[in-house]
Amino acid sequence: MKISLKVNGRKYTRDASESKNLLHFIREDLGLTGTKEGCGAGECGACTIIMNGRTVNSCLILAVEADGAEIETIEGEAKNGKLSKLQQAFQKNHAVQCGFCTPGMIMSAKALLQKNAKPSVEEIKAAIEGNFCRCTGYQQIIEAVQDASGQLKKKGELKRA
Amino acid sequence: MLQEFSYQAPTTLKDLYSLLKKRAGKAVILAGGTDLMVEMHNNWIAPEMLVDIKKIRELGEIKFSRKEGLSIGATVVCTELIKDKNVQKYYPLLADAAHRIGSHQLRNRATIGGNLCTASPCADMGCSLLALGASVELGSADGVRIVALKDYFTGPKKTQIQKHEVLQRIIVPIDMANAEWGMRKLKRIKGHDLALISVAMARTAGVMRVGIGSCAPTPVVTVDLPASASLDKVKEATFKAVSPIDDVRASKEYRLFMTGEYVESVYAELTRGRSRK
Ligand SMILES: Cc1cc2nc3c(=O)[nH]c(=O)nc-3n(C[C@H](O)[C@H](O)[C@H](O)COP(=O)(O)OP(=O)(O)OC[C@H]3O[C@@H](n4cnc5c(N)ncnc54)[C@H](O)[C@@H]3O)c2cc1C
Ligand code: FES
Ligand code: FES
Repeated sequence: MKISLKVNGRKYTRDASESKNLLHFIREDLGLTGTKEGCGAGECGACTIIMNGRTVNSCLILAVEADGAEIETIEGEAKNGKLSKLQQAFQKNHAVQCGFCTPGMIMSAKALLQKNAKPSVEEIKAAIEGNFCRCTGYQQIIEAVQDASGQLKKKGELKRA
Repeated sequence: MLQEFSYQAPTTLKDLYSLLKKRAGKAVILAGGTDLMVEMHNNWIAPEMLVDIKKIRELGEIKFSRKEGLSIGATVVCTELIKDKNVQKYYPLLADAAHRIGSHQLRNRATIGGNLCTASPCADMGCSLLALGASVELGSADGVRIVALKDYFTGPKKTQIQKHEVLQRIIVPIDMANAEWGMRKLKRIKGHDLALISVAMARTAGVMRVGIGSCAPTPVVTVDLPASASLDKVKEATFKAVSPIDDVRASKEYRLFMTGEYVESVYAELTRGRSRK
């Protein structure tokens, strides 16, 4: 089925197989391999993208359901080779280890900051509830989001949860 | 790649009805896909045709009227229900229950209709809607019928829906608006997880009910109790309604114990007139 959609501001028209999920379509048909597949079943959040303003698990959506949608993925973050503020905060605060969860994590964090410029720690935790990270233990990720929203105290004064 | 299937997305109820009638048993309805896509991913099912119902406008509406009460279209997603002003004002229990489903990503896709059609014993909308005395409207080429939710679930993952029918909307009666309420969901972890048991209570001047999830083959509800029922009477009715089993998530004894604990604590909240979490 022919579908048209916007990804990171760019319009694509493609013939999508009915039985392909949006995650595989983005990775294989559009060649945007930043978005990852962990479980393929809605549990891990590695495949999180923003679709029409809301975070979704792209593994649980058919490509054909995204006809007409506006989508944001991790590839839309860096501009002209310069990392976004959120990416910089992740890098600076060691919120990336193996990096597998990071593209999805950043999408969830981005959606949070779009709605809530100064989220509390509890709000950050709730926002990334659907994103598993098996490396960092989450603390650095929470700090990165605090940093990106201008709320991180100097490291020395930081009380770890 | 998933198994081969064809995909249809009718835009009117009439087209949907005729598709379901023609392909009864072959066509499977796709709403948010958060249950269906998992089942297909795991090769548990291999439908011949998926019928996406999200393009049918009236199925996506939430309406409130003083006459009927609240009408929730089948494809309304959890996030929309949580945000809806009338839900927040008149039926806050439903917003609370929807908030307990999955993660943000799930709530942005999971529909209320899908939750009731999957009909898992632990469906979070099940026990809350039961406590509020809701019913569901089922439609097909043969006509429309309304079924009380307490009669709708017939077994684990089984309901009264026929193969050619669609769940169109959920109706929550007006006399349950502004009910005092409380809900508990027991999980193994703090993050997103299915319920080991869940308890939802609602009380108005005329009636009190307890809806219980994960404690019987389906979500269940007590008989209609008088608003003045004592804690003992409420617990008695609750234990009569449930029939828990041992499974991977919890033992039967633990489920019974925690159901009793939760009924006690929610009851105390209601008695204090504090209708909060
Ligand atoms: C990681 C994860 C966590 C989850 N956590 C929870 C949780 O905490 N609590 C909870 O209750 N659930 C949970 N779920 C289950 C699921 O998200 C919900 O049951 C959801 O509400 C299903 O809705 P859907 O729109 O995605 O349904 P779909 O997957 O689209 O459909 C589900 C089933 O219902 C049928 N169907 C859907 N709509 C209709 C209709 N209108 N008429 C007739 N048949 C229909 C479909 O054919 C299918 O068989 C979780 C799922 C996942 C993957
Ligand atoms: S890959 Fe989609 S949630 Fe894990
Ligand atoms: S950095 Fe490895 S999973 Fe998060």
